[in-house]
Amino acid sequence: MASKTAAKDIITLRGSAAIVSEFFGYAANSILYNRAVYPEESFARVKKYGLPMLLTKDEGVKSFISNLNAQLSEWLEAGKLQRVVLVIMSMNTGEVLERWNFSIETDNEVVEKGVSREKSDKEIMREIQAIMRQIASSITYLPCLDEQCVFDVLAYTDTDVAVPFTWMESSDAKLIANPQMVKLHSFDTKIHKVNTLVSYKNDEEELDDEE
Amino acid sequence: MMLRTPVPKRARPIEPAPIIESPPTGSDHHRQLAIYEDPPSADPARREPSHEPLQQSEHMLCTYQCRQMVKADFLDALSNAEKQVQDYQSQLAELSDNFRKADEERKTFREKLSYAEQELAAAKGREQALHDQLLKEVNDSHERLKKELESSAKLQTKLENEQNLRKKAESTAASAEDKARELEAKLGHISQSIEKEKKQLNNELVHLKRDSKFSISKITVDLEKMEFRAQSSEKEVELLRKQQEDLQSKFSQCLHQKSELEKKLTSLSFEDDSPKESDILVKHLQEELRNYESEVREARKLKSAHENIELIKEKLLEEKSRRERAELQLPKLHEYEFKINELEDELSAWKLMIQDIPGVSCRDDIRLRISALQKEVIDNLKKLGDVNAHLKQMEVILDKTQLDKQKTETEAVLAKEKADRLEAEVKRMNVMLSAVSEERNVLKTAIEDFKSKNEQAGGNASSSIMQIQELGSSILEREPYIKELEGDLFAQKEINAHQRDEIKSLHDRLNSEARRVKSLERENDRLRSEIFLLESKIGHGDFSAANTKVLRMVNTLAVGNDAKQTIEALQSELQRTKEKLQALEEYKSQSGNSGKMVDSYMSGKVAQLKEQIATLEKREERYKTVFADRISVFRRACCELFGYKIVMDERQRPNGIPVTRFTLQSIYAMNDDEKLEFEYESGNTNIVENSYTSTSEISQQVDIFVRKMNSIPAFTANLTVESFNRRTLS
Repeated sequence: MASKTAAKDIITLRGSAAIVSEFFGYAANSILYNRAVYPEESFARVKKYGLPMLLTKDEGVKSFISNLNAQLSEWLEAGKLQRVVLVIMSMNTGEVLERWNFSIETDNEVVEKGVSREKSDKEIMREIQAIMRQIASSITYLPCLDEQCVFDVLAYTDTDVAVPFTWMESSDAKLIANPQMVKLHSFDTKIHKVNTLVSYKNDEEELDDEE
Repeated sequence: MMLRTPVPKRARPIEPAPIIESPPTGSDHHRQLAIYEDPPSADPARREPSHEPLQQSEHMLCTYQCRQMVKADFLDALSNAEKQVQDYQSQLAELSDNFRKADEERKTFREKLSYAEQELAAAKGREQALHDQLLKEVNDSHERLKKELESSAKLQTKLENEQNLRKKAESTAASAEDKARELEAKLGHISQSIEKEKKQLNNELVHLKRDSKFSISKITVDLEKMEFRAQSSEKEVELLRKQQEDLQSKFSQCLHQKSELEKKLTSLSFEDDSPKESDILVKHLQEELRNYESEVREARKLKSAHENIELIKEKLLEEKSRRERAELQLPKLHEYEFKINELEDELSAWKLMIQDIPGVSCRDDIRLRISALQKEVIDNLKKLGDVNAHLKQMEVILDKTQLDKQKTETEAVLAKEKADRLEAEVKRMNVMLSAVSEERNVLKTAIEDFKSKNEQAGGNASSSIMQIQELGSSILEREPYIKELEGDLFAQKEINAHQRDEIKSLHDRLNSEARRVKSLERENDRLRSEIFLLESKIGHGDFSAANTKVLRMVNTLAVGNDAKQTIEALQSELQRTKEKLQALEEYKSQSGNSGKMVDSYMSGKVAQLKEQIATLEKREERYKTVFADRISVFRRACCELFGYKIVMDERQRPNGIPVTRFTLQSIYAMNDDEKLEFEYESGNTNIVENSYTSTSEISQQVDIFVRKMNSIPAFTANLTVESFNRRTLS
C-alpha cells in the first residue's frame, strides 16, 4: 500500500496493519526457534528484513500463526488492539516462564479520518531489523529452558471488540510473579507504534530455593 | 506678526549747519523749516526716503509760491506726519498690544518654562529614581549573579564530588566485576573439574556395575554349576547309598551265607570227604567277604571323601573367584589410589583457595558468596545508574542555571546600557535644562531691562518697540528650540515609560520562567516515575478491566496433536481388527458349515496333543533315570577296570568356547590332591597342569608319555601301576 515518493513513502492504515501483523508472525517464529520450543530441524531459513529469518515447517504451527496474523491485522485496522503477548509455559507444570510483550499505540486520527502518513520503508525495516537482532541475542541473558515448553498467545483489546469464533475471553492473563524485565527497541510506522518488552521468571528465586 | 513700522531710524548726529528737513513719514523726526542751502555733502548714500520730501521742501524755498507751496507741502507733510503719527500711534498701540501679547506670551512661556522646569525637575527626580532603581536592579542582578556564581561553584564542586564518587563507584564496580569474573572463572573451572570427576566416577561406577554384573553372572553360573554338581553329587550319593544298601544287603547275604556255610561247615565237619574244596570255598567266601568289607569301607571313605571334596571344591572355587576378582581389581586399586591422591591434592588446593576468599569457610559458601557478590554488583550498578541519573539531572540543572546566568548577564548588560543611555539622556537633559535656564535668565534680564526701559522711557515707544521687537524675535528664535525641548521631553518620557514596562515585563518573564522551570522539573520527575511504574505494569502484564479485555486463541496445536495421536492409534487398531475380521471371515467362508466341526476337531486335537506331551514327558523322565543308572554303572565299571574315578565337567573358556573337562583320580591315590585334569575339545584331549602334575615325578612322566610319546593311556597306566605299588608297599 506504500507508494514510493522521493524520500518518504505513504503509509496507509491497512499497510501499517499488514506491516505490524507480519512483524509479529516473524517475531513469534524467531522466539520459538531461539527458545527451543520446537526443534531446530522443524524450521526453514528465509530472507526477510535483510536478515536470515527462520520459519516453522510444522503445518499446525504455521496455520495457527497465519490465523492469528489475520485476526491481528483486522483488529489493527479497526484500532482496537492494545497489546499482543506471547507466553511460554512449562508443558508439565503449566508454569509461565516467559512473556514476550508487544504493546501497540495507534494514531486514532488515522483510524477516524482515514488519513495517511509518510515514512520511509527503509527506516521501518531498519527498526524492525534491530528488534529481530535483539530477539536473537536474548538467549545470552534469558535463563535456559531445560524442560519441554509450549506457547500461547494473548491479545489485549478494547472492551467493545466482538470475540471471534476461534477466540475466547480469558480471565487468566498468565502473569509472572516478580518478573525480571528487559525492554527492547521499538518501531513506528507513524500510524502504529510497537514497543517490545520481555519479562521472565526471576532466576535468583530458583537459586534461593536451591540454597 | 508683521509690523507696519518701518525700520527704525538711527538718530542723526546734530550737524553744525541747520538743515531743513521735511517731516518724514516716521514720527521720530523733528520737522523744522530752514533756509535752503546746498548741503555740504550730497551723499546719495545718506539719502533716505524720508529725506526726499526734505529735498522737495528745500526746493520750495524763497518764493511766495514757494512758501505757499512749502506751506502746502508743509501742511501736506504735517498731515502726512499727523497721519504718520497716527499711524505710529496705531502702530504703537499695536506694538503695545503686541508687547502685551508678547508679555502674555512671555508669561505663558515663563509659566511653560516653569512648568517645563518643574517637569524637568520631576523628570530629573524620576530619572534619579529610575537611576536608583536601575542601580538597585543592577546591584540585585550583581548579587543574583554572585549567588548564581556561588551556586554554580557549589554545583561544580558537587559535580566534581559526584564525578569522583562515580569514578570510585565505577572503579569498585570494575574491581567487583573483575572479582566476580575471576570467581566465576574459578567456579567454572571447579564445576568443570567436578563434572569431570563426576563423569569419571560415573564411568567407574558403570565399570564397577559391569564388573559386579559380570561377577554376579559368574557367580550365578557358578551357582548353577554348583547346583548341578550338587544335584549330580546328590545323585551320586543316592547311587552310593543304593550301592551301600546293595552292598549291605550283599553283606547281610554274605553273612547269612557265611552263617549257613559255617553251619554247613559244622555239619560238614563230621564228613571227611573233600575238606579242601570247602576250605577253598570258605577261603573264597572269606576273601569275598573281606573284599566286600573293604569295598564297604572304601565306599564309606569315598562317601566322606566325596563330601569333603565337594566342600573343598566349593571353597576352592570361592577362593579362586575371590582371587580372580582381587587380581582384576588390583590395577584398579592403584588407579584409585592415584586418583585419591590427586583428589586430595586438589581438595587441599581448593581449601587453600577457600581460605583465601574472604567470608567463605566451606564449599557451599562459595555459591552464597558469589550470589552475594553478584547482588552487590547489581546493587552497585543500580546505584551507579541512580548516580548517573542524578548526575545528568544536576548537569541539566547546571546547564539551565548557566543559561539563566547568561540571560541575567545579558539583561544586566542591557540594563547597564540602558542606565548609561538614561544617564546620557539625563546629562543631556541637564545640559538642556541649564541652557534653558540660562536662556530664561537671559529672558528675565531682558524682560527686566525692558521693564526698566519702559519705566524709564515712558513714551519712548520706539525703544520699547525695538526691545519688544527684539524680545519677540528672540522668542521666535527660541520657539523651535522650545518645541524641540518639549519633543525631547515627551520622547524621554515615553522612553522611560517603555523602559519601565520592559523591565517589569522582564521581571515577570524571569519569575514565570523560573516557576515554569520548577514545574517542568517536577513534572519530569513525576513522568519518569509514572513511566517506570507503567513499564513495570506492562512487563508484569497488568491491565484495566474497564478499558481492556484479554482474548486467547484456542490453541489447536496441543489438542490437534493429542487428537492426531489418538486418531492414529485408533486407526491402527481399526486396521488390525479389520484384518482380523477379514481373516476370520475368510476362514469362516472357507470353512463354511464345518465351523462347528472344526472347533470340536480342534479341541480333540488339542487334547490328543496334550496327552502326547504328557507321555513324552514321562518317557523323558524314564529315560533320564535309566540313563543315570546306566551311566553310574558305566562309571563304576570304568573305575574298576581302569582304576580311575572320572568326573566329567562342562566349562567355558574366556573366549566363550565350551570345553569338556575330565578330572581323574586314581583309586590308589594317597591323598585327595592327586588328581589329573584333561580337557576334551573337538576330538583332542589335552592334559591340564595342576599342582599334582607339576611335581617332578609326574611332570617327568607327562613329558615322556604325553608330550613325547603322545599317549595318555600309557601315562595313566604307568601312574596306576606306580600308585598301586606305592600303596601295596605302604
